[in-house]
Amino acid sequence: MEEIKKNKAKQGRSIGAILTDLSMPIMLVVLIAIFSILNKNFFTQLNLTNILVQNVHIAVCSCAVMMIMVSGGTDLSIGYQMSVAAVLVAKLLSTGKVGVFPAIVLGILVCMALGTFNGVMGHVLKSHTMIVTLGTMAIFQGISYLISDSKNIHNLPNAFMYLGQGRLFGFLPLNVVIMAVIVVIVAIIMGRTKIGRKVYAAGDNPEAARLAGLNVTRIKILVFTFAGLLVGIAAILMAARAGSAESGTSGPGIEFTGITACVLSGVALKGGEGTLWKVIVAVFVLGVLSNGMQLLGVGTYPQHIARGAIMLLSLYLSNRAPKKA
Amino acid sequence: MRHITKTYPGVKALDDVSISFKKGEVHALVGENGAGKSTFIKTIAGAIHPDSGEICIGGKTYPHLNPKQAIDLGVAVVYQELIQFEAMTVMDNLFMGMEGIDGMFINDKIRAERTQQMLDSFHCNVRPTDLIRDLSIANRQIIEIIKAVIRKAKIVIMDEPTAAITVEEQETLYKIVKELKEKEVTVIYISHRLDELFEICDRVSVLRDGQYVTTVNITDVDKDGLIALMVGRELTETYPKKPPCSDEVVLKVEHLSGNGLEDISFELHKGEILGFAGLVGAGRTELMHLIYGAAKAKDGKMTLRGKELHLKSPADGQKAGIGLVPEDRKFQGCFLDKALYWNTSISNIDNIGKGPFVDTKEEMKQAEIFKKRIRIKTPDMKVKAGTLSGGNQQKVVVAKMLAPKPDVLIFDEPTRGIDIGARAEIYGMMVALTQEGNSILMVSSDMEELLGMSERIVVLHEGHQTGTLNREEFSQEKILTLASGL
Repeated sequence: MEEIKKNKAKQGRSIGAILTDLSMPIMLVVLIAIFSILNKNFFTQLNLTNILVQNVHIAVCSCAVMMIMVSGGTDLSIGYQMSVAAVLVAKLLSTGKVGVFPAIVLGILVCMALGTFNGVMGHVLKSHTMIVTLGTMAIFQGISYLISDSKNIHNLPNAFMYLGQGRLFGFLPLNVVIMAVIVVIVAIIMGRTKIGRKVYAAGDNPEAARLAGLNVTRIKILVFTFAGLLVGIAAILMAARAGSAESGTSGPGIEFTGITACVLSGVALKGGEGTLWKVIVAVFVLGVLSNGMQLLGVGTYPQHIARGAIMLLSLYLSNRAPKKA
Repeated sequence: MRHITKTYPGVKALDDVSISFKKGEVHALVGENGAGKSTFIKTIAGAIHPDSGEICIGGKTYPHLNPKQAIDLGVAVVYQELIQFEAMTVMDNLFMGMEGIDGMFINDKIRAERTQQMLDSFHCNVRPTDLIRDLSIANRQIIEIIKAVIRKAKIVIMDEPTAAITVEEQETLYKIVKELKEKEVTVIYISHRLDELFEICDRVSVLRDGQYVTTVNITDVDKDGLIALMVGRELTETYPKKPPCSDEVVLKVEHLSGNGLEDISFELHKGEILGFAGLVGAGRTELMHLIYGAAKAKDGKMTLRGKELHLKSPADGQKAGIGLVPEDRKFQGCFLDKALYWNTSISNIDNIGKGPFVDTKEEMKQAEIFKKRIRIKTPDMKVKAGTLSGGNQQKVVVAKMLAPKPDVLIFDEPTRGIDIGARAEIYGMMVALTQEGNSILMVSSDMEELLGMSERIVVLHEGHQTGTLNREEFSQEKILTLASGL
């Protein structure tokens, strides 16, 4: 009897664990179902493609946020890093003197430099990167406004905008394809490579990692550099889709969307834990939520409230189930 | 007179245990890890509710206690891992949650005076305004005890109070325990160090696998008898016989300085276990970190197999052929919420699989080899390290260090917090490693372990080397004298 009871208890627990594990996909399906019922315009090819296209840069950014969080850091400056890259590339392109390709490369390189700066500062100042990037965020903000002169920069060349608006074979959005490729690459790096393993180790227990012979400092800085690369790409995808760039709107705030997606999907704040595909699903949970509410005519402010409520609900779900089997 | 009975059907962490504690006695609770000591004290403290059974305190019977109730009844626990407000002062910690010390507002003067009185009476040399996080572990424990006394505790439970403090501090602690006893306070004392029980305890109760074994007067039993009760069998030989090492010098350290140490010199032979003795603060761990490359040397020379070493990081140490099994398993050794295979491969990850990718099959294969080689007891190398017992976790840390195939292994407190049965296995593993050609540096605060395992012992005192003893010269007195710098 007792054996059976034990087994049952075990099963119950594992179902709970599975629910926690799949809470984001389940939430996504539930939200899609609800919005499909409530509004006939929701579940259409046009709208679903829209959701994908609109969240491309957020997904790419969230990859960066996830890597940084797994390594034990936090980056609040990502939004303004994007802003710097977006206005810089847009400004260069709008002059008409710089080619599309060199401008993009330069934008990405600048973002990598900014990311590396964050990582190096975190090491030099021996402070948590959340505080460090709170400072660098202000610096990047200033740089961005200096470049843009607080102006909206538009008149970008078509070749550039193709990156954000073009369709492969007439139907496949190019930016979604780019996003998919990046997500797969980052997933492989984090899940299958040696350096990915080291990133998890450095975030999980930095002292144990150091004593295990890993160069924790280098790993952490490298993560910030790589995150900069991703943020740069995200900035370009965003500017290319919008066809313009502006310091205040091209990026800022995205760091919190990224952190929200990460936290929702179980990326540990202390580092060392997290699964990329879940982060991406969480990005689209947030994306579907705001798209669906927009279709229903819910105003921006109630949307904020709903978003916060979803976050609290998912925290409740993930903390209710026992974490240790 | 108290009488406590508890049964746990499901897990049976405690199986129908009844122990009575007398007023004003020092009552030791012993048993191997997992015997149920922690569960037992948690029930008294009200942290967990027993499934059945009852708790009698001062003539009243309770089916279970809540933390608040337990405190009101005069139960105070000094946990092994102290739970304190680290950024607050001594006096604020003492009076936290207490009312009636001053008025509506905090009166620091009154608090400081009262704190000073208490500190004086406990011979504790700290100021009321010191921050808790700046105090030594021993002083922090004393603060917890004072806290218990201020709250007029009738039962004080101490969970491994001497695990992390120096010999002199132990003496102070024993004195305090005796003073508590004079005040008619019941002290429940949990310890892995059996020697000290004979010094301070009146009676001792033994738990084994969640079951109550017996209670004896400390005068009616000796250490071997107590161990036999704990493990349920006679442990005739705790320390495995080790064949003598060769004369070949593997590691030579000459006039090494840095990281708080000065002028350390010794030689390590192939297949040798070289012990390092010293009090807390002698710099033993710091020395090991120097040798491993985790700290930078200022001066001196290290030669490994004829090659001079210039270590700048643990990675350099590993490359040179040195491995460290650190002192603190949880914070420096194990990745507790990662799988075992993940733990065993992380040090050697660059060599598992081609190019940038990890070869997970190869990784698992190597993990299985380690499982057999050093007998890690687990159904599966995919379980998380945190789910294993301390002894098995330690083996995982050893496996992690063995993966890069070192010549010299450093064991810093190899059996801290590991129960007696599992210790024997760790010792067996260490001897087996020396037979495979490894040489071992072993830091230990456990005198028996040092004497039983080492072939020679280097003694440190406050960063200086005060002696090197050969096996023939081994004696506790000698080591203690050297370690005290006398």
